[in-house]
Amino acid sequence: MSNRIRAKINKALNDDNLRGALGRFANDYLGSRAKAYKGRNFEDLRDIIAERKNCSAQKMEELAQQFKKNAEARGAKVFIAKTAEDAKKYILDVALANKVEMVVKSKSMASEEIHLNKLLQENGITAAETDLGEWIIQLAGQTPSHMVMPAIHMTRDEVADYFSKETNQNLSPDIPQLVQVARQELREKFLTAGMGISGANAAVAETGTLAIVTNEGNARLTTTLPPIHVALVGMEKLVEKFTDVGSVLECLPRSATGQQLTSYVTMITGANPTNLSDGTVGTKDMHIVLMDNGRTQMRDDEKFNQALQCIRCASCLNVCPIFALVGGHVYGDVYTGGIGTILTAFFNDFDDAGELQNLCIGCERCKEVCPGKIDIPGLILELRNRVTAKQGMPTSQKFLLNTVLPNRKLFHSMLKVGSKTQKPFVSDNKIRHLPLFLAGMTEGRSLPALAETPLRDQLYRLAKPKKSKAKIGFFGGCLVDFVYPELGKAANKVLKNMDMEMVYPLEQACCGVPAGHLGATDAHRKMAKQNIEAFEKANVDYVVTVCPTCTSSLKHEFVELLKDDPAWADRAEKFADNVFDFVEFVAKNTNDGKDLGLKSIKESVTYHDSCHLRRHLGVIEEPRNLIKEGGMELKELQWPDRCCGFGGSYSIRYPELSQPIMDAKLEDITNTGAETLSTACPGCMMQIGGGLDNKKSSINVKHVVELLADRLTD
Amino acid sequence: MADFDKLFEQFKTAAEAVSAQVYRVKDLNEAGSLLSTLVEEDGAKKLAAASSPMVDKCLNTANLNIEVKTDDLRKNAEDADFGLSELDMAVAEIGSLQQDCTDLNKRLVSMLPHTHVAIVRTDSLVANLLEAMAKIDEIKDNIPGYMAFITGPSRTADIERVLTIGVHGPVKLKVIFVDNPGGDSNE
Repeated sequence: MSNRIRAKINKALNDDNLRGALGRFANDYLGSRAKAYKGRNFEDLRDIIAERKNCSAQKMEELAQQFKKNAEARGAKVFIAKTAEDAKKYILDVALANKVEMVVKSKSMASEEIHLNKLLQENGITAAETDLGEWIIQLAGQTPSHMVMPAIHMTRDEVADYFSKETNQNLSPDIPQLVQVARQELREKFLTAGMGISGANAAVAETGTLAIVTNEGNARLTTTLPPIHVALVGMEKLVEKFTDVGSVLECLPRSATGQQLTSYVTMITGANPTNLSDGTVGTKDMHIVLMDNGRTQMRDDEKFNQALQCIRCASCLNVCPIFALVGGHVYGDVYTGGIGTILTAFFNDFDDAGELQNLCIGCERCKEVCPGKIDIPGLILELRNRVTAKQGMPTSQKFLLNTVLPNRKLFHSMLKVGSKTQKPFVSDNKIRHLPLFLAGMTEGRSLPALAETPLRDQLYRLAKPKKSKAKIGFFGGCLVDFVYPELGKAANKVLKNMDMEMVYPLEQACCGVPAGHLGATDAHRKMAKQNIEAFEKANVDYVVTVCPTCTSSLKHEFVELLKDDPAWADRAEKFADNVFDFVEFVAKNTNDGKDLGLKSIKESVTYHDSCHLRRHLGVIEEPRNLIKEGGMELKELQWPDRCCGFGGSYSIRYPELSQPIMDAKLEDITNTGAETLSTACPGCMMQIGGGLDNKKSSINVKHVVELLADRLTD
Repeated sequence: MADFDKLFEQFKTAAEAVSAQVYRVKDLNEAGSLLSTLVEEDGAKKLAAASSPMVDKCLNTANLNIEVKTDDLRKNAEDADFGLSELDMAVAEIGSLQQDCTDLNKRLVSMLPHTHVAIVRTDSLVANLLEAMAKIDEIKDNIPGYMAFITGPSRTADIERVLTIGVHGPVKLKVIFVDNPGGDSNE
């Protein structure tokens, strides 16, 4: 990550106003969103949006022509702009030809995308933003920090200062009064402006209609009062049918601001009556610019075309743990957050986006709430792959990923050397300090010491059931093999009680995620083949792991990586069919633990949902059911599904972001008053366990498999 | 036949939740006297109205001792306290109103004055937004040039996310449902 972005991150992290506002919003948003969707099936709604938007994107050019024909039949002039430059030139020409001196604008991300205000100003035309948030940041000379709430980073005091300066008054930081000042100041501009510029939330091809969603009423004034209206619309806004607008309206306000509908939805078809500059009523000079600027290129990209299903609700920002810390400015000056990174890559600058994709921690919360069903984290990963393909990877990283990770023996011996040299820093089996260059790793968190004997070297001691119903291949994964071998032993105990035999094929390698997530697809693929082969040889009925990240690599990513290789595609599918996360496997095969014969031992337990278990694998209720079945009292966290900040190597690369996310998690855990924090992911265990240890907390950290093993006899 | 009583109650609850005031009257005579009361309570001095059958009848029966304008509305709506217009449809679930406002006057009186008084037929109530959209879809070959859904008065939360009512559009929205507008009524 460049120093420029790092500096922006640090600036944001030190901005208490920003942190406070974003943090409060992140909490409140979830409640208002849930309330707005009450009685509706979000999955059904987003299925429709994804299908309709995708269908429209496929025939974008055809719909643009149809829209043009229909809108022109109703008196509008429609210009299809291939590039940002084309759009800018057209709009400027209209303004200059009509001797426009002032433009009023209602919020348009497309106009931000092409930096339209700058162009107008360079040509002596005043462009007044009329959305309150946009006006504030315009007066402050800043850029939006959020797509829906552009000035979320500013306080009422700052706003009062800027308004005072603008109006030559001494205004107090009273919000209703400040809003009234904006109303008066901007009303004057609405009444005198020669041109209004708006965006649109949808453009209906079959009718030539634009739909605009607002709350403040500024879009209505912008599109009504001035004699000229120019609507700048990205081509991804085109929809085929009028009823498609209904589908978008069902989700857009609910996801954006938790409203059932915004105060105003304006639908404009063609040129309408207006007051001309001489005061008489005539027909508006109506221009619609349909802008491509990278959108057809995105559509032609088989991976990225789904990003055109975005309806710009910004809910992906609202649930993003990283965005909640740093806000939008870190992401550049137009589209922000995860989806912003993807849009930026196509509409603005690929290299900028290439850097920004690193900010994603991969928790997948955004994917869960996206009304367009866009796999935002998946696309960010794809962006990473392309950046790596374009720029290459540092040699040291290449060696690690291509040579060390697939070679278990080499990896192991390197780690063994590591575990010996770490001795001076180890106390109570936790690493508390590391020498210089690794110092960031132990910031606010102790790391568990490497196991004296890895799981693979303890296998001969594992007990077997007398009669075996099934042969289970245990996939260790790096953390279990080398750091938490006790989880493997606990798994064996549970499986033995289920009359199943556990085996550990020694040829297994790393699951490949560390490589894949750094953009080293080839290394990931190599490990996929090695692992599939190892388990095929072992001739097992099922493959289980206690690490959900490994599970999802084995179950989903291997299939994807090998699908185009005829020699491997079927093998990967067959392998994947029998891969299960351990918790899910146990719940399924023991009637949610009822058939396990667990001893009831009292323990108050809270449970943290691992991002990968919950969102990659959809395992949510199973661990909770098992906990309750073991006689434990389950005390739910306030935000059980929020990321712990680990994200694999993320916590090492960006400790400054990882730590505050972890701190919030630790606070939530502590507030429950539970004796034990349980989770079903060794990565989360390492992060949370290290954090609690660093805070000298007495709360235990246990994997669900350990809770079960505690309640079983050998 | 839809249960308009139930739909009205639903509308009222939803619209009041977004800071609109909702009334229901028997006919346009009652609408007129309600309008007089609202004007009086508010202390309004000027009303701008977009002429339409219901609005005209309402104004005829109202006893208004203030300035009432129905023409040159660009100028007259701007400094009016009240704007009066007829709406076409009401959406019960979310408390929204729908209007064909291709007529410039309808837009001016619903956008510029401090308070917008909306008159709408009770029997125009539909259950939800998708039903309203489906009705408009039926006339899509001849779709109005300018249409609006209006839900409560204008609002913002752009400063510190504090909800503030009344930004560029009306600060107040008062909705009058008329059960029996006379003439072409279904009842």
